[in-house]
Amino acid sequence: MSYEMIALLMFSSLMLLLFTGQRVFAAIGFVGTAAAMLLWGVGGVDIGFSSAMKLMKWYPLLTLPMFVFMGYVLSESRIADDLYKMFHVWFGGLNGGLAIGTIGLMVLISAMNGLSVAGMAIGATIALPELLRRGYDKRMVSGVIQAGSSLGILVPPSVVLVLYAMIARQPVGQLWLAGVIPGLMMAAMFIIYIAIRCKLNPSLGPALPFEERDVPMAEKLRLLGAGLLPIIIFVTMMVPFVKGWTSLVESSAIGALTALVAALARRRMTWTVFETSVRQTLGISCMFMWIILAALCFGAVFDGLGAVKSIEGLFIGKMGLSPWTILILMQLSYLILGTFLDDTAMLVIVAPLYVPLVGSLGFDLIWYGILYTITCQIAYMTPPFGYNLFLMRAMAPPEITIHDIYASIWPFVGVMVLSLVVVMAFPQIALWLPNFVYGN
Amino acid sequence: MMEIKFKKMPRIIRSYVRLVDVVNYRVGRVTMYMLFVLIGILLYSSISKVFFHPALWTLEMAQFVMTAYFFLGGPYSMQMGSDVRMDLFYGDWTPHTRAWADAFTAMFLMFYLGVLLFGGIGSLSYSLQYGETNPTTWRPYTWPIKSVMCLAVVLMFFQASSEFCKDIARIQDKEI
Repeated sequence: MSYEMIALLMFSSLMLLLFTGQRVFAAIGFVGTAAAMLLWGVGGVDIGFSSAMKLMKWYPLLTLPMFVFMGYVLSESRIADDLYKMFHVWFGGLNGGLAIGTIGLMVLISAMNGLSVAGMAIGATIALPELLRRGYDKRMVSGVIQAGSSLGILVPPSVVLVLYAMIARQPVGQLWLAGVIPGLMMAAMFIIYIAIRCKLNPSLGPALPFEERDVPMAEKLRLLGAGLLPIIIFVTMMVPFVKGWTSLVESSAIGALTALVAALARRRMTWTVFETSVRQTLGISCMFMWIILAALCFGAVFDGLGAVKSIEGLFIGKMGLSPWTILILMQLSYLILGTFLDDTAMLVIVAPLYVPLVGSLGFDLIWYGILYTITCQIAYMTPPFGYNLFLMRAMAPPEITIHDIYASIWPFVGVMVLSLVVVMAFPQIALWLPNFVYGN
Repeated sequence: MMEIKFKKMPRIIRSYVRLVDVVNYRVGRVTMYMLFVLIGILLYSSISKVFFHPALWTLEMAQFVMTAYFFLGGPYSMQMGSDVRMDLFYGDWTPHTRAWADAFTAMFLMFYLGVLLFGGIGSLSYSLQYGETNPTTWRPYTWPIKSVMCLAVVLMFFQASSEFCKDIARIQDKEI
């Protein structure tokens, strides 16, 4: 059997096993270890455990539990309530102002944690009920929260970019900086979309009546102070890292501690909040780490086959495709895969195949990391498999049906695809900031 | 009020499931606080780097703690149902059908854990025999972390078998 056939067989049996609903890590791990033993006999037995030893030395992965913990502390302790109030009084007067404020809230939350879970939790528990109560269109609201929270993986700190950095062997700091401008650009595009929709049809997002906005100026300014919290957390975490005083991992521990201290100082850190945050952090971290562990094993077998070289040869040599055509095809296939696969699985299985190919085609791997992350964001939101869809389904009140949730995302997916195209066409949007900071 | 009497699984299976669940719950509850050990080590590392000599041992110690954290936490997170599944079809199935699918595919999970354990024991015995150390300045022995990892995989295997028993009970509509 040729190596291409074996590779194909591995992928198809993996997909089949995933469809049975078995735990993702078990499906990947089984196909990886079974293939190793079929290919190399008894010598292949060690590959599972040696992946674990390799994973231990992947130092940046230590940031994972830290950022997850930060996210849970922020959402469980509800220290973001004041942040929401701030946007509420300052933007409430506009048509669609609260929806715009929610996007702003999501950007700030994204700057304090590395996944979209915290944004979803805060959005669904704080923003969602308020928006619905004020007569906002439920599809608009559901879309805003899902799209906004997905910024969590593009705006630094980002766990997805840490994983990408490991696989592509690129510096995490530059990748994070590269995500800043595309993240803000995407947020701005969401806001423009909301503003236009609500201008054309004010019933989608009615402005707050005057009496609700009649807050004394002193109170308005006090609430502006709430915006300081995310900035303080972000700065205490990022400055020592960008300045080179501490490593990335050490900074993430400082960030986790700062979030904990902030929640304690606000007297929001009850035992229940603490226990939930610590327990959920263990659950999410284990889920991630076991998938990565299994995928490393799968990837090692795949590398051993040398399948990447033959696929590259097939595309460039036999089919005569130009690098840009290949890149666009890859992005399209990623989008399609992303609707079926969980993003971690997507990265750790497909990236070892795609990333070397992108590199050998002469593209910048930092820039590609941003393209990859935006694709992941879209994957987060598109049925049938999307984290944000599931979270929304679990957290939304019963008046928002699954049908509403599915229907709500499409305009925002459209905006995201547009920003993907823009970043593809103008790489400087991603690359300017890292070059500016690290260039000096 | 009508009283429904459920049939029960054999006693030995029920006590086995209970024992495994309790042990892994306890281990998991202790493990989840290792997060703070990790934060502590990393903070010490930052402080020592900025104010006095950088410590040699912090990087590797943090790696050991992280590995122990997600290995020993694995069984507990399986108990909590934290592991993601692809629910394209699974999500629409009845609990009964899910139990059937899980019971059947449990062998893939156990196969993987078995191979992991087999490799782990080989690697551990090598470390013990030759006193293997990490090739770094601190030169820590590798057998302690490898023992923890092997132990965790064993616990994970027990947890997988406990989940299997629960699926069988669900298929037969018996109480566990």
